[in-house]
Amino acid sequence: MSLAQTGLEFGRYLSYLAERQQVIASNIANADTPGYKTRDVNMPLDFSGALEDAQDAVIEAPGLQTRNDGNNVSIDREARLLSETGMKFNLATQMIKAELKQLRSAIEEGRSS
Amino acid sequence: MSLFTAISISASGMEAQRQRAEVITENLANADTTRTPDGGPYKRKDTVFTTAPGSSSFADAMSLASGQNQGVAVSDITIDDRDPERRYLPGHPDADPEGYVAFPRVNPAEEMVDLMGASRSYQANVAAISAVKDMIARSIDLFR
Repeated sequence: MSLAQTGLEFGRYLSYLAERQQVIASNIANADTPGYKTRDVNMPLDFSGALEDAQDAVIEAPGLQTRNDGNNVSIDREARLLSETGMKFNLATQMIKAELKQLRSAIEEGRSS
Repeated sequence: MSLFTAISISASGMEAQRQRAEVITENLANADTTRTPDGGPYKRKDTVFTTAPGSSSFADAMSLASGQNQGVAVSDITIDDRDPERRYLPGHPDADPEGYVAFPRVNPAEEMVDLMGASRSYQANVAAISAVKDMIARSIDLFR
């Protein structure tokens, strides 16, 4: 697998995480909106394909208890997902940086560290 | 840009919670108001939230049409129509012939709990913004 290809797949993973973070922000903003249902983004099985169907990937999160006003946002779940997605994003960018460092090392014939 | 949209969604949440807090403080401030321009005592108000686009750009309007990018907005401010509380104060200038004065039906405990809810939700939105801000900073860091 070439560096360019892994870079592309990391890019798709980052846009999936960004999409998910947006949906989580939306859930937190609507924590007090009557009738609002928690949404989530389906993780694609394969990041080698394009994420064009991102619209279809947004689903209603299952298994949450609905309150009397029809809202089922669990602020604890959203807080956990918010930091989890942030950490995954951090990890992915660190890995991209490592890949780029490797590429630079190859360009410079291994002379620089 | 997905991540910047996330910031405007959280900002819409902060704005809605701030408006809710404003209405609650108005209720608390007017807990003993017996005169209003419409006549009668002050009436307690309540905010109603609805989903709304997080920002107004064209791309965001498009993604809203497909059910994405849901921010929040105050759709309505309702007026509580419960009967006023009648207190026996014969010396009061607004007392009726029987000596009772109509006071707004504002329960300070209820308002304080609501205010705490608004404040906590505001904090949750701020936390979401700082998490997204951190992600943007990480992306920019890739250029270094």
